[in-house]
Amino acid sequence: MLQPHSFLWHYLWLGPQVLQAALAVLLWRRGLHRQFPVFFAYLVFEAIEAFTLYGMDVLPSVSTGTWWLACLVGLVIEGFVRLAVIGELFFHLLRSRPAIAKVGSRLISGTGAVLVLIATLAAANVPVGDPQFQMVSRAQILQQTLYMIECGLILFLFLFVACFRLTWDKATLGIGLGRGISASVHLATWAVMANGGLAHRYYLLDFVNMATYHLCVLIWFYFLLVPQKSVTTSTVPLPENNLDVWNRELERLLQQ
Amino acid sequence: MNLAIVIVIAAALALGIILRLAVTQTLQVKRNASLDGTIRPIDIEAFRNLINPAEDDYLRRRLPPAQFRTVRRVRLRAMAAYVQAAGRNAAVLVSVGEAAMASGDPRFAAAAHQLVNDALLLRRNATVALMRIYLALAWPYSEFAAVRVVDRYEQLSGAAMLLGRLRNPAAAVRLSSI
Repeated sequence: MLQPHSFLWHYLWLGPQVLQAALAVLLWRRGLHRQFPVFFAYLVFEAIEAFTLYGMDVLPSVSTGTWWLACLVGLVIEGFVRLAVIGELFFHLLRSRPAIAKVGSRLISGTGAVLVLIATLAAANVPVGDPQFQMVSRAQILQQTLYMIECGLILFLFLFVACFRLTWDKATLGIGLGRGISASVHLATWAVMANGGLAHRYYLLDFVNMATYHLCVLIWFYFLLVPQKSVTTSTVPLPENNLDVWNRELERLLQQ
Repeated sequence: MNLAIVIVIAAALALGIILRLAVTQTLQVKRNASLDGTIRPIDIEAFRNLINPAEDDYLRRRLPPAQFRTVRRVRLRAMAAYVQAAGRNAAVLVSVGEAAMASGDPRFAAAAHQLVNDALLLRRNATVALMRIYLALAWPYSEFAAVRVVDRYEQLSGAAMLLGRLRNPAAAVRLSSI
């Protein structure tokens, strides 16, 4: 069952992509692609990339080197799109809160710069693999680097929201949660692969990655398509009225 | 392989924090925001007195340096307690304002928006002020300004009162004690 090219392996590779393509169609129909254009582009790109790589994998005429080259190119583009998705989430969080927009932008830029530095240092310390599999090794290091930056930025996003007690809307929370789970699990697995762990059993980590991604796509389905229950806030039970006293004191304070 | 272990642990921690915060957020949305028992009234006048630079100058002139440092540190700790309380109150008011905004009632949408923005500014200023206070604890002779926090708190109180009046005309929000 847990073998490369088993039924489960094929399903986990293609299943989430089919669901993702369906999600993109549903988002388009509901007009949500206008609200989350970058995430919509990500869904479409990711599905196309996965189908292309799958097709190249099963075609005997495509060499291993060509496959890994295509994978590397796809990874670079995908990495930028994923970072743009985080930017979109951040924009959604800050657009109605101008009070912290500036400080938020500065903080996320600073965090991003620090993460790039850490990820670069980590990549530089990865042991060089067998020259025969140089392309594979490069792809693994690239994955580790990109996921490290992404995971750090998403973690920052969640901490920022918690620190200021902001409220996510359901769709934004779903996208953030899905990307957060995916980024942290993929970071761990790619770090193990890049550093030579689980030698000759990489496919087990592929299963972990693919299963995690499947879960994330299902999370997006739930958070983006299941309607949000309308929030009915009852009148807040406020403490006793001391407005007169408070105003008198405030006026006295302002006149000092 | 050591690097991989460090990264795996870091990734697991990140995943744990993200999941925990996401669950907290989901539960927070379901709860009704309430001011009762969560807002700590602040004696704004006492705080203003505490941060008055003239008071510090007076103490600096009258006390020997060692004693001044001790007194200044005590005053700084008291200041930090006030600022922390103001920051916590601001966080509660962000939740209340966001809940009011989410209700979609146009009657208090503008007041809620104003409250959220003022509370966020106060929370940001309180964080910066706290950092300065802790820095001043290490160097008691240094100068810092917490005045902006006080000003922002007054503005926030006004916004909270306005929202409180709109939502429940019979009651008001009490942010400061007298």
